[in-house]
Amino acid sequence: MPMIEIKNVSKAYGAFKVLTNCTTSVDKGDVVVVCGPSGSGKSTLIKTVNGLEPFQSGDIVVDGISLSDSKTNMSKLRSRVGMVFQNFELFPHLSIMDNLCLSQQKVLGRDRAASEVKGKALLERVGLSAQAAKFPGQLSGGQQQRVAIARALAMDPICMLFDEPTSALDPEMVNEVLDVMVALAKEGMTMMVVTHEMGFARKVADRVIFMDRGEIVEDAKKDDFFGKTRSERAQLFLSKILQN
Amino acid sequence: MDIIISFLGFFVSLIVSILQFLIPNFDGDVVNRSWQYLFFEGMRFTLLLTLMATVLGIALGTVIALMRLSGIAPLVWFATGYTTLFRSLPLVLVIFWFYFLLPYIGAWAWGMDRPMTVGAFNSALVTFTLFEAAYFAEIMRAGIQSIPKGQAAAGYALGLNYRQVMTTIVLPQAFRNMLPVLLTQTIVLFQDTSLVYVLALTDFLGAASKVAQRDGRLVEMYLFAAVIYFIVSFSLSLLVKRLQDRVAIIR
Repeated sequence: MPMIEIKNVSKAYGAFKVLTNCTTSVDKGDVVVVCGPSGSGKSTLIKTVNGLEPFQSGDIVVDGISLSDSKTNMSKLRSRVGMVFQNFELFPHLSIMDNLCLSQQKVLGRDRAASEVKGKALLERVGLSAQAAKFPGQLSGGQQQRVAIARALAMDPICMLFDEPTSALDPEMVNEVLDVMVALAKEGMTMMVVTHEMGFARKVADRVIFMDRGEIVEDAKKDDFFGKTRSERAQLFLSKILQN
Repeated sequence: MDIIISFLGFFVSLIVSILQFLIPNFDGDVVNRSWQYLFFEGMRFTLLLTLMATVLGIALGTVIALMRLSGIAPLVWFATGYTTLFRSLPLVLVIFWFYFLLPYIGAWAWGMDRPMTVGAFNSALVTFTLFEAAYFAEIMRAGIQSIPKGQAAAGYALGLNYRQVMTTIVLPQAFRNMLPVLLTQTIVLFQDTSLVYVLALTDFLGAASKVAQRDGRLVEMYLFAAVIYFIVSFSLSLLVKRLQDRVAIIR
């Protein structure tokens, strides 16, 4: 059964179409990489999955729950879907540990002690145990993004969304974040990842989706995508980003 | 209380000595005779009005700022109209207006058949609260808007609701950003309260003015009042600077 189902989703700002009839799905335990040129709608698409971006037609179903159903409790749904942003979006006025505990306490109703135990375990996992008392501004970009991943995992999500998690990082920090994501994928986490890191896609993706001008142009198994890319636009895109 | 009096007394005699040193025929006696009246009648009133109008003004201002940012058309119109109106009128005019109008508004609101007795202090408090709320609302709005949209999005993505996102993520950061401006506005309000002289209320400047007229010592009293206003305002703004460094968010 698919964990995430995107069915004929369209979105427009006036006459400008951001998403046109997008249909795809992510099976439980799968890793799907979404790529495409800037302005292709890939970030918008991933943000519709947890309702951060509204859409005008079509439907999205996450773990059997429809987003267009007015009875759906959006906050509850979002608490089960982890999201990692391009600019980390850690809360700068809170310490790293408080960043990890805030939603556990406020949303899941865990007590402080249990939240800290969880937070410590996750910091250990992303290799940042020593930073618990620091503030986000004292950490490097790569460290902040790893904390952001830990913060999302603290909610015990059923799937994870990554919106260009390495685009805002200095090159030497990209790998420390990708390593955490690879480990997560290998543990069987369901993941939808918007990224240009084709090395990551080659390593762990099950499927690759190529988007252009708001449309899903190609949606193929990883080996097919890299081996026999069908559409001209995807070929052009791949040749450009794989040059170096 | 005795400690306060002796400390203030020492402080005042220091100022008087300095003024006498700078101005040869400065009559220090009139200040020595009247400073207790100036501080315990006048300054007490000034500080009380400043404090109450600040607290009530920030409370009302927050409500108006949230209305303005609510996206609900009638609330946005009301809030925008409110801030625009008050920010376009001179404060003295509003003070007069409410002093003469408030008894009639009160009578209408409570269905009385004659103008209600409001009193100069209450009238001034209502005026300053309403007037300052317009400024505080704009400061709040700018503070809330200074927080990147992604911060709220991250909160929602974790499952927090609107109220939780506002109280735990947006407002704590916004408040830190706007604290200096908020306190600076309070210092301005501290000075502006002197305008209540038009209602014959005895604030600090009013008290100094009364003594000045009675004893024919205009230069002495107005100079002394100016020095006190300067010292209070200047120390407060130094305090704001210190505070700003302490609550700053590490970026």
